[in-house]
Amino acid sequence: MIWVNDIVQGVLLGGLYALFACGLSLMFGVMKVINLAHGDLAVVAAYLAAGLVTVLHMPTALSILVSIPLFAIIGYVLWRTVLQASLNRSVLTTLLVTFGMSIVIENALQQFFSANSRSLSIGALATDHFNVGSQITVGYLDLAILIAAVVVLLGLQLFLSRTRQGRLIRAVADDREAAQLAGADYRHIFGIAAAIAFGTVAVAGTAYGVYTTFDPTTGTTQLLLLFAFEAVVIGGLGSLWGTLVGGILLGVVQDIGAQISTADLLLAGQLFFLLVLVIRPQGITGSRRTA
Amino acid sequence: MPDSSVPALLELDSVSKSFGRVVVAEGLSLTVGEADFVGMVGPNGAGKTSLFGLIAGDISPDAGSIRLGGAQVNRLSSAARCRVGIGRTYQVPRPFGGMTVYENVLVAAQQGGRLRRRASYAFAAEALEVAGLAAEANRPAGTLGLLQRKRLEMARALATRPKLLLLDEVAGGLTDPEVAQLVQIVTSIRAGGVAIIWIEHVVRALTGSVDRLLCLAGGRFVADGGPADVLANPTVREVFLGTEVSTSLPGQSAGGQPDQEQA
Repeated sequence: MIWVNDIVQGVLLGGLYALFACGLSLMFGVMKVINLAHGDLAVVAAYLAAGLVTVLHMPTALSILVSIPLFAIIGYVLWRTVLQASLNRSVLTTLLVTFGMSIVIENALQQFFSANSRSLSIGALATDHFNVGSQITVGYLDLAILIAAVVVLLGLQLFLSRTRQGRLIRAVADDREAAQLAGADYRHIFGIAAAIAFGTVAVAGTAYGVYTTFDPTTGTTQLLLLFAFEAVVIGGLGSLWGTLVGGILLGVVQDIGAQISTADLLLAGQLFFLLVLVIRPQGITGSRRTA
Repeated sequence: MPDSSVPALLELDSVSKSFGRVVVAEGLSLTVGEADFVGMVGPNGAGKTSLFGLIAGDISPDAGSIRLGGAQVNRLSSAARCRVGIGRTYQVPRPFGGMTVYENVLVAAQQGGRLRRRASYAFAAEALEVAGLAAEANRPAGTLGLLQRKRLEMARALATRPKLLLLDEVAGGLTDPEVAQLVQIVTSIRAGGVAIIWIEHVVRALTGSVDRLLCLAGGRFVADGGPADVLANPTVREVFLGTEVSTSLPGQSAGGQPDQEQA
């Protein structure tokens, strides 16, 4: 029964990973860009939420109503200015630029907020839980994060498959030159995809701040980027459902590893990631066709 | 042909472009009127596809002006040029492989054609009908064969509601009966009042349909006139017919052009 609880906890942890990974997955799937500043942007979102709570006395959960649109705007502007220009040069340039952004963000956060760690308060919800049977404990917060991940991914999936903008994003992801000839300006549409990806980062960062403590370097020291990246690759590059599956599998494997010994949490996750790369490089849900 | 009181549909004025030492357009001037049906021939590397790139906005000219309906379009992106009425097909069709045939055309109707909701659904369906693809509407475009891909390429261009349609090598790589089917589609698009410039190696496909034929060689027009006259022109015979087989040559034209020569 203890194993069942581990798996349940792993699934819940996987929800957080999946939430983190969906912005990364979307940007890779559409623009073929890996945003190395992804984890740091999530930390910025957590600080932003802390600021909104302190200054505007907003409830933490409602702060995302402000941070999502703000991040979306930042995403669009950043894409149309820095990121598109770097992609025009080469994919490697984009990697370097986002790596640079990551360093700039961490240092700027240190400058403004000091290196002290902090957290977002969400009241009793942070510790409240319910039991299933005698061995399984489900935290309301963990469950809420998992549900948020599913809602975000489901929403993105529906948006991409059912709406006009979503169809455009798929067209541009498929062949941006042909899309130009169909009258679709790919730079604008990439900008919209970046805005959506950044919006999900705002949700992920806020969820992380509620889940645990954060400081300016959390984006790299807590391996947020790495876990998000692993979730994307395990699930299958560019597939949103794959990202959910990848996040959850990573969470479960880490939790089971932690049961063997606490230090094995990371090791188990990395080994699993390598195993997937060797046995099924296209990811769990991926097809052989390259994304 | 052009009525002097109304600006011509397309006007190229001394358009030049070179890639390093390769000259693809050398002071090209060309006027195409509303509903004109113009064919273009020329040897490989003559600059035919590059000329389309210049008109459609994939390539920006080094000098000269390009006007559509009297308005200069030099500075517009290819997407913006599509929205003002320049449609184009690629020599090697490039469907959005992960999307259905209908979705492919719908994107064009909504973006290039600037239609919304019901109007766009109806127009996309109509474009598929014209291209003879209505039965394949729900198939993933990536699963289509060459003939169907060419049809889709035309349907997608048509759905952008062009005033001017640039067709690049429609007939390449197809059998005679297939070519005949595509020629019929082109003719019906033209009957809808769309001006067409059509690059084709399969000269037979052109001669029966176009009103005017251009011959491009070395980035310059060497002949312009009725199809029979142009094909009888000694210069044309030398640069084009003398070195080229006039029957079906699959794919490839225009070496030395950096744009879209992909398999």
